[in-house]
Amino acid sequence: MSKLSNDTVSAVENLNRDYICALDNMDMTGWLACFSQQGSYTFIAEENVRRGLPIAFMLDDCYERLQDRVTQVVDIQIDSTEHYQMRHFTQLTNIVEQESGTVRATFNFSIYYTQKDTNHTKILCVGRYEDIITLKGGKAEFKHRKAITDSNVLPRYVAYPV
Amino acid sequence: MTKQSTEGPTLVWPKKYNEIPKAVFEMEELWPKELETIFYGEEWHPIVHRAEIPNPGDYKAAELGEMPIFAVHGEDGEIRVFQNTCTHRGTSLITESSGNKKELECPYHRWLFNLQGDLVGCPNSRDYAPGFDRKNFGLAKLRLEEFCGLFFVTMSDKTPPLKEYLGESFYEPLSRILGGDGRLKLIGYQKVMYDCNWKAYCDNDGYHAPLLHKAFALLNWQGGKGFQKVTENGHLSFESELKIPDDITALEDGSILDFKGTETSTGSIVQMQFPVTVYSKHMDMLNIRYAFPKGPKGLEVHYAYFSHEDDDEEMLAHRIRQSSNLLGPCGLISMEDASVFSRIDIGNKTPGNAIFQKGVEDEHKLSFTVKQNDESGNLPRWEHYRKRMGFERSES
Repeated sequence: MSKLSNDTVSAVENLNRDYICALDNMDMTGWLACFSQQGSYTFIAEENVRRGLPIAFMLDDCYERLQDRVTQVVDIQIDSTEHYQMRHFTQLTNIVEQESGTVRATFNFSIYYTQKDTNHTKILCVGRYEDIITLKGGKAEFKHRKAITDSNVLPRYVAYPV
Repeated sequence: MTKQSTEGPTLVWPKKYNEIPKAVFEMEELWPKELETIFYGEEWHPIVHRAEIPNPGDYKAAELGEMPIFAVHGEDGEIRVFQNTCTHRGTSLITESSGNKKELECPYHRWLFNLQGDLVGCPNSRDYAPGFDRKNFGLAKLRLEEFCGLFFVTMSDKTPPLKEYLGESFYEPLSRILGGDGRLKLIGYQKVMYDCNWKAYCDNDGYHAPLLHKAFALLNWQGGKGFQKVTENGHLSFESELKIPDDITALEDGSILDFKGTETSTGSIVQMQFPVTVYSKHMDMLNIRYAFPKGPKGLEVHYAYFSHEDDDEEMLAHRIRQSSNLLGPCGLISMEDASVFSRIDIGNKTPGNAIFQKGVEDEHKLSFTVKQNDESGNLPRWEHYRKRMGFERSES
């Protein structure tokens, strides 16, 4: 860990907590609120990252795409999805200041899912977040959150961001 | 419905051509016979495109039925497909999904193979059995044919030549999915496990009514004119114009749905090759869906996406963001397909038949004339499957 202030680390931890709670609560508005107006989000397999292949599972490379991700989940696919409950478990593993007001952070994640109305709980994916986070007035926002899954083969179709 | 014979399980098939016994999706004992008569039989299976292993030493692991295999790009520029097993004691040689090797060494007794599959080293061979000759211990190579850079294998010497097997109605549109000339570049994979029998995927990934796609309605996007073509051995091709409205109000960023391509007049080609492969070109997405049944239940699908060697930077970037967001297990227009696979699988645990309706003009005759949105295009594939499996059609 570098010499970042406790306040900065706290702001980053709080942002991540808001993010995972939003998803675990199926709150897509809360998910969107974690990103800045310049924000972007990627969900990609580790295999593609390792080989330098750009195809992702989700590639929301501008704020409008993030808004459309919310529309996709909330409006477009709401009827056809077999809904599942997610539980995110994360751990901050690295945080460094990139420039004034911007930090790079890495979190490990493991995400379980339980198919609605069943007792089947399984691992959805395990991997790491690579984040670029902006800090303004004590508030942190994702400029970019990249979820890289070690589980290259998803165990089911994935309806929500992770 | 079922009886066990010396030749394996059997199933009495309904008399009507548009009825499929639901048990065919659920009887686990069919799998060994499917392996023997289909996956190891007289069919061609796509394994790798040259763009996936473009350099000497590049390899890609795959499965044919339950048999591990791998494709490798040789020092001589040739692509070959081998069984993934050392010819000594059977240890697998490739353990990763892809990579690059100068030679293939078995860790067990250090037998060494070159990329052409020849055995070039085997320590202490003076102590081997008297009949040992390293020339007889090259890697087991599969019969291989190429079309537009895509390599297919078959386990049978009797399988007809590839182009004859696919038929012109299938390989011509396939050539357009493969960029027209096969000069593709790999841009990445999306891999997923679907919780269904492999045949349920076949019925529904290539073909499904636009009714399924709420996204189409919400985007005010319905398919334009088009047609289906089906071959006697069950390969199915769809082509249709895409009619995407200029103003997509449901999305903030409508550019994700742009169709920039000029290489073909139609916007959508979807093909289902027997037994289990789907190819598609929607807008600017060039996609091969390699599919690997994991026994009677569960199907691993690897969506491989490509760009064309002649793409400029703008086109490449467009293909990447379109492919990443519209297709595959999280895609705007295809996630709904995936949700149907497992629901069908649950529903098929009930007795009776699945009954195809749309486009069926005579239940007692197989027709190869199929209109654009007819579901009857699946029936020649079922008939081919029935014959391969040796199931008798009921007389009543």
